[in-house]
Amino acid sequence: MTQDPWTNRLSEYLDGELPEWERHALESHLESCAECSLVVSDLRRVVRRARTLKNPPPVTDLWPGIAARIGAGIPKAQDVVDLDAQRRVRRRWAFSLPQLAAAGIALMTVSGGAVWFMSGAARQSVVSAPVPSSPPEGTPAVSVAMKPNASQSYAAAVADLERVLADGRGKLDTTTVRIIEQNLAAIDRAIAEAQRALDADSANLYLNTHLAETMRRKLDLLRQAAALVPVS
Amino acid sequence: MTELGLGVATLEHEPTGRTDPDAVDATLAASGDASAFERLYRTHVPKVYGLVRRMLSDDDVDEVAQDIFVRAWQKLGTFRGEAAFGTWLHRLAVNVILARRETLGTRRKRYVEGDMVLETVPSRRATPEMSMDFEAAMERLPDGAREVFVLHDVEGYRHEEIAQMLGLATGTSKSQLHRARMALRQHLER
Repeated sequence: MTQDPWTNRLSEYLDGELPEWERHALESHLESCAECSLVVSDLRRVVRRARTLKNPPPVTDLWPGIAARIGAGIPKAQDVVDLDAQRRVRRRWAFSLPQLAAAGIALMTVSGGAVWFMSGAARQSVVSAPVPSSPPEGTPAVSVAMKPNASQSYAAAVADLERVLADGRGKLDTTTVRIIEQNLAAIDRAIAEAQRALDADSANLYLNTHLAETMRRKLDLLRQAAALVPVS
Repeated sequence: MTELGLGVATLEHEPTGRTDPDAVDATLAASGDASAFERLYRTHVPKVYGLVRRMLSDDDVDEVAQDIFVRAWQKLGTFRGEAAFGTWLHRLAVNVILARRETLGTRRKRYVEGDMVLETVPSRRATPEMSMDFEAAMERLPDGAREVFVLHDVEGYRHEEIAQMLGLATGTSKSQLHRARMALRQHLER
């Protein structure tokens, strides 16, 4: 049986890839060829079917394996955020999540936010560490006793790194500086949003943890940005 | 531009002025934030997994999908935010998959000419499990036709891109696609 010479061009026709003259010729052919018209219709449905295929997630969660391979274990409450010494940063800063959480609370206080640890029985139960009695994995126990020191240390660390970055700003590519500043601004916005949310729900353990983690991200970014400043 | 060891990407802003959450997470992940990377994983794993599943045999799917995300973690420093993170990840995924195929030596006889493709995908019109049949029929396509079909019709790549990725002539990509479609039309619901 001889195949219609147009059959092999039908996908190109469907995809709009035929030259104008060929498209017109094929359309004329389709008006009189029921077989080719049927094939075009089927091919159109195949394409439509392909575009609507579902993508269910894997049956087995792959994340634990990935986390193990990238060295990202499940964080524990007592994990310390270890800021490696960088060639352009002389001081070494290390904060635990509880310290950062406490620092966040202190920042809220300073900025006129809720003084969540000073009022309310429910709050008191959260404040009088350890909190809660069986904290979920990865949740820091907030200790008020650490607040002043942690706050001061965090502010000092940020200020120190910002100073290194400011001093070296002229040595960095302007695009690099712009990107760093954009990202720092994004993190600052996230910190501000977390602080605002805590104003309304100051005892929320998740929000406190989120704030602490966001503050840690700012420190990480500053630390790595400072490390980019070339040694003169 | 200074090489950013931290892989900081420009944060993308949507027309509404809101920051693209993927771009933020990519930035955080590039600075070592595994939680941010896990969020990216959760968002993108279904599509990446679907791509791997359709391009490779069952035995390799989980392992290759993991490889893709591990490679993405390692390569985050090269993500500049010029394209959406999902686009960047997808292209990386295709590269990992193709490299795996090379390793496994499965590129044999993939771009055969003739009607072999049509003959290898038996027709099962009007069976109850049509949607599964369509996927199963895709699996039975010869590797070359399957790759082109998945990349073009499922993933939306253009022939020029596919030809570059697979090292083919554009015309070969087009002919493989047509053969795949012609085979798969037998598995449409009627």
